[in-house]
Amino acid sequence: MGCPECHGTVATAPRTDGIRVVTVGNPNTGKTTLINALAGSDLKVGNWPGTTVDRLEAQLRLSGGTVRLVDLPGAYSLNPTTPEEALAARELLAHPPDVVVNVVDAGNLERNLHLTLELAELGLPMVVALNLMDEAEAKGYTLDPAALERALGVPVVPLVASRGRGTDELLAALERARVPGLRLRYPGELDRAAARLADRIDHPAARWIALALLAGEEVPIELDGELLERARRLRAELERVGIDPYLEIENARYVRAHELAQTALLGSEPRLTLTDRVDRWVLHPLLGGPIFLLGMLLAFRFTFLFSTPWVDFIGAVQEVLAGWIAALPLPPLVASFFADGLVGGVGTVISFAPVLFFLYVALAFLETSGFLARAAFIADKMMLLAGLPGRAFIPLILGFGCNVPAVYSTRILTGRFDRLRVGLAIPFMSCSARLVVFTLFAAVFFPERAAWVVFGLYLLGMVVGLFTAWGLGRAAGQPASSGLMELPPYRLPTMQVVLKQAWARTRSFLEGAGGPILLAVLFVWLLLNLPPGDLEGSLYARVAGWLAPLFAPLGITDWRLLSALIPGFVAKEVVVGTLAVSYLGAEPTAALGFVQGLGQILATFWASLLTTLGAVPALFGLPQLAPPPPDAPTALQAALRASVAPAAALAYMVYVLLYTPCVATVTALKNEFGRFWAAVAVVYELILAWVLAWGVYRLALLWLGG
Amino acid sequence: MRRLSDLPEDTPARIRALRTPPLLRRRLLALGVRPGAEVRVVRRAPLGDPMEIAVGDTLIAIRHAEAAGVELEE
Repeated sequence: MGCPECHGTVATAPRTDGIRVVTVGNPNTGKTTLINALAGSDLKVGNWPGTTVDRLEAQLRLSGGTVRLVDLPGAYSLNPTTPEEALAARELLAHPPDVVVNVVDAGNLERNLHLTLELAELGLPMVVALNLMDEAEAKGYTLDPAALERALGVPVVPLVASRGRGTDELLAALERARVPGLRLRYPGELDRAAARLADRIDHPAARWIALALLAGEEVPIELDGELLERARRLRAELERVGIDPYLEIENARYVRAHELAQTALLGSEPRLTLTDRVDRWVLHPLLGGPIFLLGMLLAFRFTFLFSTPWVDFIGAVQEVLAGWIAALPLPPLVASFFADGLVGGVGTVISFAPVLFFLYVALAFLETSGFLARAAFIADKMMLLAGLPGRAFIPLILGFGCNVPAVYSTRILTGRFDRLRVGLAIPFMSCSARLVVFTLFAAVFFPERAAWVVFGLYLLGMVVGLFTAWGLGRAAGQPASSGLMELPPYRLPTMQVVLKQAWARTRSFLEGAGGPILLAVLFVWLLLNLPPGDLEGSLYARVAGWLAPLFAPLGITDWRLLSALIPGFVAKEVVVGTLAVSYLGAEPTAALGFVQGLGQILATFWASLLTTLGAVPALFGLPQLAPPPPDAPTALQAALRASVAPAAALAYMVYVLLYTPCVATVTALKNEFGRFWAAVAVVYELILAWVLAWGVYRLALLWLGG
Repeated sequence: MRRLSDLPEDTPARIRALRTPPLLRRRLLALGVRPGAEVRVVRRAPLGDPMEIAVGDTLIAIRHAEAAGVELEE
């Protein structure tokens, strides 16, 4: 280490032991890939505390000591327009890091350097990582990083993070990080006002803060009222002489960013890029639509073809465990508590893992590849009908698979209000669990038109969902949300990061929702088994008795149908299982030997593995459009037919479609939007389900007769 | 007055002013859509709206109604 004083006025180089480094950059600059290339297996993925924004962090052991590396969310500017940008700005100002690594897209210098100029005003030691050099080259740009380094006064390191090129140089450059020597000047009056204001701010980022205040921005740190008042007066003075501070500041930064980009650019021969060539097909006036639908279908099939074998495997393990418990010398009630309550509950929780994991993989792939933005572009006009941005299409479509990951995927939307609106619409998207109920009832009551009835239910859910989102927008008096977004270049995602992110999100769901789901299963078990003995005398049947007057107007009077709605809160497909038990009685669980059970587990594991591998060709095969034939016992079908009229059965299906989402979805809503909105969702859906089921019942009576 | 929403495809033009609501103006500025910048319409979506524009090296999707607030030089 040299002597710091020798550097004169230049800020001293930081020691690299124990320092905190943050990466900051525009969205789609390969920040995630870079941090993965730097950290490798030390990368930790989680959430920013109290938010739903992904947080990447790593401890790096370098020759100079340990460095804590934190990735800030992507930001175009520190004057935020999204929750992610607000978070990045708040972190930089409220917890200034020791070094800022500004990740810059070498193929889009001008716009990226705009942020660099803002960062330069924060007064923090900085290094510029000039990433995606390969893409810049493919675009026909020849760059001179050294010229940019001279102009900015901070180390500039060229990189291709996806291939690990330049990462060692970047780490070495951390020691040379310094506060940028460049000082951006603004038009006369504005610059003087900023200097006057900055003098009164005791913060390394005084200049940036002064400019933000003059632009009329809210600054995410505490400032005293006198200062804010002074800023307001100065801004009013500027506006009086015809200066729009916000526009002037942005303009000065862009003009300088343009000059800097020209300094760094040695030559340019524009070439057709991969993105240009792919978009010619993907966004083609005629082929664009079909390609878009095909892409969505592929993502959907990927998720379910890959996860179903593992959900089945978890079911098989549950059965074996139940068999082992049945072999123990336990009283029936205790055995049932362990087998149905505990094993059943834990199994329900774990069986979410495969679906969530593969859906997150598909989603991350869609997002980082650039396809998601194109899908949003194509779907935008349809979504505009509901006053939503095009991106809202993705969570809604995912909802047809499983509402839980769909709720979490609302994070791809930029505005908080849009996230909430879509979040509340999602439970109306009929998930695959509800299909189990529909196919059984449609086969029993409308054997001739089963497919149409199921299709109609899906459509009804979609309409109700979109209406909900639209209505909320209207009620809040919000103008139609913006369709503005960047269409990033096509890129292959880094598989390691995609898998890690998917696993981190899955794990965070299991940790957060595991408890509530388990409690719900145990609660339902208690209802079914207390007092022990006959099901008809249980609490479960008694609750159904209380509900009966409420459901009489819908034509549903059978206690067995009513009570099955309660376990439906745990997971909608449980409705069918519970109906079978209450109509036909429980089948006793056969006792299972230890070795025999182990053999069964291994055999199903092997079968699941083979099915997963076999799913790769099936992915590209023709989709099965007809709903699978119901495998419910025909005895149940006959019992159902005897107990309820077709019109009431239709009302029952509509009710199952729309009433309270399963406990996992409610937990997801709570995690994303808070307790209040989760409660609002449940109450709203219970009421709406009843009203619409009643309407459908009355209509069906006219049509089908009692 | 020429508006971005009426600009034919592949005809470069220069932006004169942003006459849009404040939040949209901030978003446009963040993406590099600013007075003085050159803009080009790349294509319109299969359903006619939104459209894809190029500003510098950035490709941006923008709705017709939003692009109507972007005033171009004659």
